Amino acid sequence: MKDGMAFILFLIAVSSSFDTISQVILKSAINELKFSPSLNLVKIFGFIFRLIAIPRIWISFCVSFLSLCVWLFVLSKTDLNLAFSLDSVHYIFIAFASRMVLKEKVGLKRWVGTFLIVVGIILVTLS
Amino acid sequence: MKINFKKKITVKMLLSLISLDVLETLVHFCFKKSVLPEGDFYVSNLSDLAVFLKSAFFTPYLWLGFLSVLIIFIMWSTVLSKIDLSVAVPVCSFSYLLVPIVSIVFLGERVTMLRWVGIFFILAGVIFVSFSSQEKELSQP
Repeated sequence: MKDGMAFILFLIAVSSSFDTISQVILKSAINELKFSPSLNLVKIFGFIFRLIAIPRIWISFCVSFLSLCVWLFVLSKTDLNLAFSLDSVHYIFIAFASRMVLKEKVGLKRWVGTFLIVVGIILVTLS
Repeated sequence: MKINFKKKITVKMLLSLISLDVLETLVHFCFKKSVLPEGDFYVSNLSDLAVFLKSAFFTPYLWLGFLSVLIIFIMWSTVLSKIDLSVAVPVCSFSYLLVPIVSIVFLGERVTMLRWVGIFFILAGVIFVSFSSQEKELSQP
């Protein structure tokens, strides 16, 4: 492991956590609206307007912007291929967050997939 | 809730998914390009960070990246209304392979064998996670 790798890992984790928080807020807000998929433009815009009227959506946007800032900083310090592979850590965070916060069921296949991602991330980090 | 799995992949759909892969790769390539001159930039406090972000936001690359994000968002929503998530995600996660290839070709980065192995594990994991989307829908009333 190279010098400063721990710091980069930490920043990627921060960026992914922000990303996860923003996704969880977004999902919980969308769940509230009970929208069924539609290609009707009027319905879609109506949906978007109702969505941005929910205050916590703006928290989600802000957190997502913070995530982008950290991400840009990470990219300036490290190789793109490394950062992009390690960013898949958000799959793990999201698995836990949806289990704990949104009370979604996380099935066996998903845990297997999450485990494979963990192995992949460890290998990429060691490389 | 009526569950209707849309699994049949048409040529048009496949092309959309491949363009999504390419666009996704483009986003990260652009983001990287926008901060490339700032590799040695040392950030010690918040005002440094502001300067750093300001120069990134003034490159056309970052805005090209944002534009791609917007296009991806629109295309992805359309694709998902026609096809199941468990089919769409695996095809779309080939950006995990495309990004390293682009990094090697256009950014002169190096990818070791061990890293490729790791990337394949991540890819396999993402595919597994997306297959489980059926599991979840089925278990819900």
